Amino acid sequence: MAKEATTKQATSFEQFCQETFDFKKAFGKPEALKGYRVLSCTQYILGPSCASYMGELGAEVIKIEAPRRGEAMRHTTPFNEPFLYPLSKWIPERGTGLGFLGANPNEYFISVDFHRPEGQAILKKLAAKSDVMVENYRPGTFDRWGIGYRQLREINPRLVYCWLGGFGGWGPGRVRASYDILGQAQGGNFGATGKPEFMGGAPAKHTIWLADYWGGMMGAVQILAALYWRDKISGEGTFIEYSQVHGVTRQLEYALPLYGRHGVTRERWGNWDTQLCVHGIIKCGKSSYPNSDNPQEQEEGYILISAYDDGDFAKLSKVVGDGKFAEKYAKHDVRVKPQSQMEIYPWLEKWAADKTKEQVAEILEKAGINNQPVWNSKEVANHPHWQQRGAVQWLDDPSFGDLLHQGPAYKMSHTPPRVKWALKPVGTDNEYILGKLAGLSSEELRRLEEQECI
Amino acid sequence: PKVAPWPAIPIAKPDEVYAGLSDQAKEYPLFLESILRQEKNFEKPEALSRLRVLDCSTRMMIGHWCSSMLSELGAEVIQVEPPGGDPLRRNTPFGRKEYMFRDKETGEEVGGQFLHEMRNKHSITLNLETEEGREILKRLVTHADVLIENGPPGQWDSWGIGYRQLRELNPRLVYCWVGQRGQWGPLKDKPGVLDPTAQAACGFVHGTGDPKEFGGQPTRSALWMADHVGGTSAAMGILAAILHRDNVSGEGQFVEATAAEAVIRILDYNWAWHSMDGSIRPRYGNWDLAINIYAVNPCKDGYMMVGGGHDRLWYRIWRTVGDEYATVEEDILGDPHLREVADRLAHDMQVKTYTMLGEWLKDNPRAEAERKLSKQQVASGGVLYTNEVAEYPHFKYRGHVAETESPHYGKVLYGTTPFLQQKTPGRLKWLGRPTGYDNEDVYRRLLGFTREDFKRLKQAKVI
Repeated sequence: MAKEATTKQATSFEQFCQETFDFKKAFGKPEALKGYRVLSCTQYILGPSCASYMGELGAEVIKIEAPRRGEAMRHTTPFNEPFLYPLSKWIPERGTGLGFLGANPNEYFISVDFHRPEGQAILKKLAAKSDVMVENYRPGTFDRWGIGYRQLREINPRLVYCWLGGFGGWGPGRVRASYDILGQAQGGNFGATGKPEFMGGAPAKHTIWLADYWGGMMGAVQILAALYWRDKISGEGTFIEYSQVHGVTRQLEYALPLYGRHGVTRERWGNWDTQLCVHGIIKCGKSSYPNSDNPQEQEEGYILISAYDDGDFAKLSKVVGDGKFAEKYAKHDVRVKPQSQMEIYPWLEKWAADKTKEQVAEILEKAGINNQPVWNSKEVANHPHWQQRGAVQWLDDPSFGDLLHQGPAYKMSHTPPRVKWALKPVGTDNEYILGKLAGLSSEELRRLEEQECI
Repeated sequence: PKVAPWPAIPIAKPDEVYAGLSDQAKEYPLFLESILRQEKNFEKPEALSRLRVLDCSTRMMIGHWCSSMLSELGAEVIQVEPPGGDPLRRNTPFGRKEYMFRDKETGEEVGGQFLHEMRNKHSITLNLETEEGREILKRLVTHADVLIENGPPGQWDSWGIGYRQLRELNPRLVYCWVGQRGQWGPLKDKPGVLDPTAQAACGFVHGTGDPKEFGGQPTRSALWMADHVGGTSAAMGILAAILHRDNVSGEGQFVEATAAEAVIRILDYNWAWHSMDGSIRPRYGNWDLAINIYAVNPCKDGYMMVGGGHDRLWYRIWRTVGDEYATVEEDILGDPHLREVADRLAHDMQVKTYTMLGEWLKDNPRAEAERKLSKQQVASGGVLYTNEVAEYPHFKYRGHVAETESPHYGKVLYGTTPFLQQKTPGRLKWLGRPTGYDNEDVYRRLLGFTREDFKRLKQAKVI
């Protein structure tokens, strides 16, 4: 024991981290949420991703979809090109679109029609044995069907029931439908992103389904806290309502305090930073892959240059070499003014006009200036840093074979989250789950299947 | 200039909001109000009130965001700042001092961003660059459930206060390192690496904005968005570790969360798509690669979101537009390539769709377009700016935006916690604390400091 301790201390910190967080060793370690069961009656991204984060942590997540065609997100994929076949055993000629991928890893897939009393009876049996219910139908729908929070808490008072959606189930806008992009548009982060109008810009969408995927995380945080309170203190379940537009408004940084005190509305500021300078993204004049036939690679490179400390700015001035701004902008409070920024970044772009982003990065690296080239998805997917850390990892998916998949959002030494499978066809686990939890015999399963109730 | 008090337009009353509805239609929303309204928060317990968190992160938003998630849910969060305060306190848009918030008593200034995250947190000062400061930290750690830090990789370990050393002092400690790209691996973080580094390193920036052909370029989020996502995922990992500790093992563990990897996790289908056919996700502006209709386009008075990919909504949208544009019938509904949901995703079809929709939008301001589409239950709405968000009737009614009266900084408008819940809701107890405001309380309560200790440590610049 003592000997082991000495060897451990002798390991460098980096080595220690590499071993501790090695994603390939995750399957040799326990799971944090082992034994918890989560029902996911969800579609699109917000609700599904929320449940899937608990699936990564080892909870048994049961995703319940409409029979046959499954949920809507299976029918979305970029430009209608990539699909994973089959969609289900009933519809083998169609596939699941990649829009579904990432929001449903590690889940068990069953299909139940909630519109029918028989389907509702099945859901009640599952809810009686579950810890968490995640649901994102329009507010009140499940209540009307007799399978909402008010009914399920009678069956299972320990159930943590989490509804996620756009605007919430009460208030003047409660009937409004929502999607990620509407959450961004109305929550306030959309209008603040992109170049300002006087530079020819317009509000810009965050390319990811941010309000959905990140909103799902916010839901999961709240569910974990509710489970902690239940298990440690009260023994009781609860009802959670997460509004994604509320979430987006929560992340507006200084915008609301500024508006409240001064009546000033935060303006867009493109690829620069309103609070720090130099801390912005500039264009490098040359493409890194001029001979590629992919337009994504032909275009010029971009790079983040971060030299907001006075010392770093002095170094940057030296690198650029013309001495133009070394004195004028030596101090941060002068440098960060809008007029200064409008001089500084074009000056940097002029310097970078005959360079690729890699050349700029190399020069800055040598000078000890922080930078980060803007990478496209190919560069990220192939970067040794992300591969070594398992941020992206090859998955031998039991249904679909080799896939490059995102790793979990964070790492844990003792109970690491992990990816077991990306998704499964609709209804794959009907027999396993409904036999185990709802006591349905194979005859009943066959009958329900024929009636398209499952 | 004199600024009108918020709200400029009074907040609606329940009677007005639900006027004209049948008792049956009112029943469910009123039930939700009865269990979720934030006014009742203080009648309810807090989910994490038994946890104590030391947030030792500085400069970067990710750690502050993470500890905010925990403090909104009731954890006692102690923000450990270097003497003089976290440099993040001094950030203010364009360096404008007049936008900072001033402590009534000491005159100390703090920027709006730091203030907005300094919710329900105690502020103490501690100089970890001194040996004695680190000894004090070790003593604090014996009282903590969670520690968050974002030092340069290996820094804390070499100081003797890293995970490897602190777990010996407190085996139940959940130790969380947060950063941009990581504390190990070829690209590990350097001092001073801040968001949007993560945004650029994960593929987000490359994919955001208009395509080059439309005059666009890679675009960062205006916010330190990757820090928000990374901080939330850090909170997720911490809570999972706490659950495992208290349910099963009795032991803490080491958690690492980075802003870049949290965004990589949620970058849709980028990686699988690339692995299947070599595709590099292109920028697609305010449209969506995988859903049509699902976009923001210019309208008469700004920008308008309209969404409805599957058939039910698709036809409702065109019914609305068709009321004013007779050509919809032939051009859109008559086009065989627009009949199947999936077929509409081809680029040409998206161009065709939005050209027609754009025609209609240019005659319709946001409110008008929304009114027409809402009649058909189509998801739609304008892009709102901060002033509009702050005054939006639905948000005010539900309290997404609220004003708090700070004993230090006066009235401050802020975005409330979205953690609405029946039994243990999140809440705001206070917003903002001057640097080191809680030194007396925390050091006396946890470590039994005396007057002499305070005097000596202040002189030695340890606290």
